[in-house]
Amino acid sequence: MAVFRWRQNWEPFRDLEQQVNRLLESIRVPLPSIRLDRHFPPVNLFECENEFLLTAELPGLQPEHLEVTMNGGVLTLRGERRGPDGVPDERFRRHERMWGSWQRSLSIPHRVQEDKVSAELTDGVLKIRLPKVEETKSRQIPINGGPQ
Amino acid sequence: MSQTISTVTSDAVPQPRAEVAEERCLFTPPIDIYDTEEGLVLLADLPGVNAESLDLQVQDNKLALFGRVAGSLPPNARLIHQEYPVGDFLRSFILSDDVDHERITAKLNNGVLEVFLPKATRTQPRRIQVNAE
Repeated sequence: MAVFRWRQNWEPFRDLEQQVNRLLESIRVPLPSIRLDRHFPPVNLFECENEFLLTAELPGLQPEHLEVTMNGGVLTLRGERRGPDGVPDERFRRHERMWGSWQRSLSIPHRVQEDKVSAELTDGVLKIRLPKVEETKSRQIPINGGPQ
Repeated sequence: MSQTISTVTSDAVPQPRAEVAEERCLFTPPIDIYDTEEGLVLLADLPGVNAESLDLQVQDNKLALFGRVAGSLPPNARLIHQEYPVGDFLRSFILSDDVDHERITAKLNNGVLEVFLPKATRTQPRRIQVNAE
């Protein structure tokens, strides 16, 4: 599908992006114009005192279209973003936003309390809290003498 | 039909404050535009932006959006793996006279901005009564 699709009959938009980009480059603001990643969704992982925090940007995703599961140290995110209801393709002048189903599995490289993982979706940002497994005290293992 | 823009002045775009701009990234949000019988609908992905931190302006024939992403991480959070940068969103458009600027409405849901740009209603020709003297 073409990224940009313009129709000629009624064209009230002129995009200022190029001019704005040039303007911003001139004042040296970092502006990666395209953010493409091999994995979707890209995630960030933070470490806090008692938990790990995983974030992902998922604008427009309804909580009922998102599934988060944790099993055996693997966190799986699965979801679907739907386009506007009942709008035929030919009505689109521009289509840059991604729609469709996706799934991503992540190995969490630390031990977490899998039954206490929680997730929230606010303003299109997913936050998953992964509480750390509490440090257990080291246990002295008695050594028995072997057979004489 | 709008004219091609030759220059954009810096005051036309809502800029983040200078001291903040040095440390923050600025992104061009992806958009969809589709038309309906009543006008155009513009959708923009603005994850992390809420109604309070979004600035949407129509000035003259320009529609400008600037969304500030509020960081809501715990203060002691340490980044240990990063796949995407966090930053604010900025994008501008030129509107033609076919859009009724006075009736533009917008809403923000789950980090997606939806702007409705109604078509301007064409004035009907009015017959002028000519009276004989």
